Amino acid sequence: MRGSEKPLKLKELAEKLVTFAKTNSADEVEIIVLDGYEFSVDVRLGEIENLVEADSRSLGLKVIKDKKTAYASSSDLSLATLQRLVKNAVERAMLANYDEYSGLPSLSASQVDISSLKLFDPQMAELSADRKIAMAIETEKIALSDKRITNSHGASFETREVKGVLANSNGFLQEYEQTYCGLSVGLQAGETDSRVEDGWFSAKRYFHQLERPEEVAKKAVERTVRQLNPRKIKSQNVPVVFEPMMTSWLLGFLFACVSGTSIYQKTSFLADKLGQRIGNEKVTVIDDGLMPGLLGTRPFDSEGVPSQKTLVIDKGILRNYLCNTYAARKLKLQSTGNADGAGVGPGNFYLIPGETSPEKIISSLDKGLILIRTLGHGLNPVTGDISRGAFGLWVEKGEIVYPVAEITISGNLGDILNKIEMVGNDLDFRVPVAGPTVLIQELTVAGE
Amino acid sequence: MKNPLLIPFEDLFQLSQEDLQRILNTALSRGGDFSDIFLEYTIYNLINMEEDIIKETAESISLGLGIRVISGEKTGYAYANDLSPEKIKKAALVAASIASSEAQRNAPFLRQAQLSHNFYPVLEPAHKESLERKISLVKNTYFSAKNFDPKIDKVKVSFQDQVQFITVVNSEGLSVSDARPLVKLVCLAISEKGGKREAGFSGGGGRVGLEYFSEELTPEEIARDAAQEALNLLEAKAPPAGEMPVVLAPGHSGVLVHEAVGHLLEADFNRKKTSIFWDKMGKEVASSQLTIYDDPTIPHSRGSYNIDDEGTAPKKTILISKGKMTGMLQDRLSAKLMKSQLTGHGRREDFTCIPLPRMSNTYIEKGDYDPEEIIKSVRRGFYAGKYQGGQVEDSGKFTFSVNSGYLIENGKLTAPVKQATLIGTNIDILKNIEMVGSDLAFGLPTGTCAKEGQSVPVSDGCPTLKIVRMTVGGQK
Repeated sequence: MRGSEKPLKLKELAEKLVTFAKTNSADEVEIIVLDGYEFSVDVRLGEIENLVEADSRSLGLKVIKDKKTAYASSSDLSLATLQRLVKNAVERAMLANYDEYSGLPSLSASQVDISSLKLFDPQMAELSADRKIAMAIETEKIALSDKRITNSHGASFETREVKGVLANSNGFLQEYEQTYCGLSVGLQAGETDSRVEDGWFSAKRYFHQLERPEEVAKKAVERTVRQLNPRKIKSQNVPVVFEPMMTSWLLGFLFACVSGTSIYQKTSFLADKLGQRIGNEKVTVIDDGLMPGLLGTRPFDSEGVPSQKTLVIDKGILRNYLCNTYAARKLKLQSTGNADGAGVGPGNFYLIPGETSPEKIISSLDKGLILIRTLGHGLNPVTGDISRGAFGLWVEKGEIVYPVAEITISGNLGDILNKIEMVGNDLDFRVPVAGPTVLIQELTVAGE
Repeated sequence: MKNPLLIPFEDLFQLSQEDLQRILNTALSRGGDFSDIFLEYTIYNLINMEEDIIKETAESISLGLGIRVISGEKTGYAYANDLSPEKIKKAALVAASIASSEAQRNAPFLRQAQLSHNFYPVLEPAHKESLERKISLVKNTYFSAKNFDPKIDKVKVSFQDQVQFITVVNSEGLSVSDARPLVKLVCLAISEKGGKREAGFSGGGGRVGLEYFSEELTPEEIARDAAQEALNLLEAKAPPAGEMPVVLAPGHSGVLVHEAVGHLLEADFNRKKTSIFWDKMGKEVASSQLTIYDDPTIPHSRGSYNIDDEGTAPKKTILISKGKMTGMLQDRLSAKLMKSQLTGHGRREDFTCIPLPRMSNTYIEKGDYDPEEIIKSVRRGFYAGKYQGGQVEDSGKFTFSVNSGYLIENGKLTAPVKQATLIGTNIDILKNIEMVGSDLAFGLPTGTCAKEGQSVPVSDGCPTLKIVRMTVGGQK
């Protein structure tokens, strides 16, 4: 067996490798070390199915030599392996091309007060395995007590604690800890040949904020059974209401289209549109990495640039792209603190809510579709085209009349942003990319 | 035929057969029924080119082990990437905690198995070839696409190679190792005309060596395919919306068999009775023209393996025979609980993951119809060409997203169309397959399948198919 090297503290390891890379002729170097603990339990029909528990560490590094870049990563944190990876990376960098835009960000003068962001729940470590298992079992049990539920995909409870350190050769050296917990359940209703399925979840950084088993179970049941006995509908153009999770899906696609990487690569239909009107006045979209306690919050991005609040779309006008340092330099902009590994990632990316309740939005419809789930791919950032399998609820005269299935919706994001007629007041940061209920004036629904 | 890439696990992991034996005994110390250890060492390399420059390269090492204990229907799992004796022992005890009896039992003596087959003999293993050589493949692809037509505006090329060394030992005395090469060269081409932009995509690879790119598929061919698709899409219109006859192109349309059939015949969904197929073994579930296999033993194919991730030698498995359901894809847990034979389909993304029943290379056997004849039989319909992917849920509802296709008018392919989603319920669609072509082909050898958060390389194939009616999501 391996001799047991006394493990270095994460900070020491990161600093040591920065120095090692510099002495091995790297001009610039960046090291990220993660040390995580995860626990997850899946239960089904009242019994434990899987129980997983593990500690794990990983390290990622970037070296730049003569404005040429190489990356490496490893789950083997022995010093010998890491030093070899650094040396290889310096050698490999020489084989890449000179890139004037490469390089680390300069050290920022401002700093975010990490403790104010509420990323770490000290109670998480004290939760017993039995308590976690019991929560999953209880959630499923409550859901299965509803007679309309005919089978279960099971319930899961998961916790994670991660400590991360970022160090670079410009003198950046910081670490922070974060926690996460999630409770979910998946259900089926109906007989084998006419099954419908759905589920629900809650995910938070603090255990005490997590929704209770009964809330998660109740919502999962409601979401599942409302799809029973679906009909097909004729192909037509109709108003479509997006439920919050569907708005969230649409915003995920919007994020990909405003990410600086896709802009300079011209793989987004929103390239070269800064300052232009791309949506109507109801559309204001913000990315904010500083909202205390939320899942998309972090003090700084993966390059050490402080998180910030960025106005992306202001009443329909495209104001900012979201950039890491590289994309910002390519576009002659400033980094917005959205670096995520080698790419760009969201903080808390959301559509500003309106004042109308979702009930009122639905009751305003003479005829239309409430989009409740989509299935498949069918997103093209180059054109903004959207085409997806869909499940929904059919609305007539302001009332939900029956569920519909086996339909597809299609449209174009650029078009949709101009056709948002109403924005709901029900924004909820269940996921980091979030939006309220919205009503889109018209989309093509394909059916019979 | 021994796999020449193999390296003795003692050298890779600094653990002896006796060490592994001891770990298994610890894992069984609370009386589990079964235990296994999955050891993995993976080397991964990446080269990216965009904007006319080699933008970056990356190297990644993944080293670790996963310990599993099964007790009844319960699985305990722990993994570690620190292979020190204390950490491994801790992981074994964590996995053991799922069981709760006094019945300590010891694993039998481990017998190291030598495989007599190798489904991926490679001449020029990518992980041993120079970076310069791989960079020249990337540059070739890049400039072939860029120079294909003045309307090609941007190109991105990525080359990835990896070799995954695995060893599986278990409490039945099995000890077996494999070394799996995997290579992928992909090209994205963006075309531009009058402010309109479109993207085309293509790629090549598999469990191959670099000789593949001179013998099987050249960088120029990959580039041409991506660039041509991007150009074609500039002229493409939105597809019609509604129900109509659909003809699926050979090869790429294998996504249909993957989504509509493969996933729902994974044993776990049937054991749990969540799959629409769970009560249909032996019954007619598809057109009698349809025969479907999953075969992990196809030489050099992306989804192939010499052993699955539980150490089982894989078998070509017949899932549907002339329209009747005949088989399922099994892993150890489901096979044991369902009292079925192992098929060698227990796969995992890496050492941090519990194995699940998964597909490998899934395809529809060729039929009798001339593909021309199939297209000729449609008066007005949709021809699905290349895809972005698909998704299915256990109820059998599935979709697949078509990137590019054609209208069929009076038996001929006419206007190119883009971006359509097809949706259906699997058994309806399978029964509605009216003609199966004689031209079996496999899709792009770059596919990845995701299930419960785990991604594994797969491939799928099919001949030209005609579906009598299916909902096409287009614009009205």
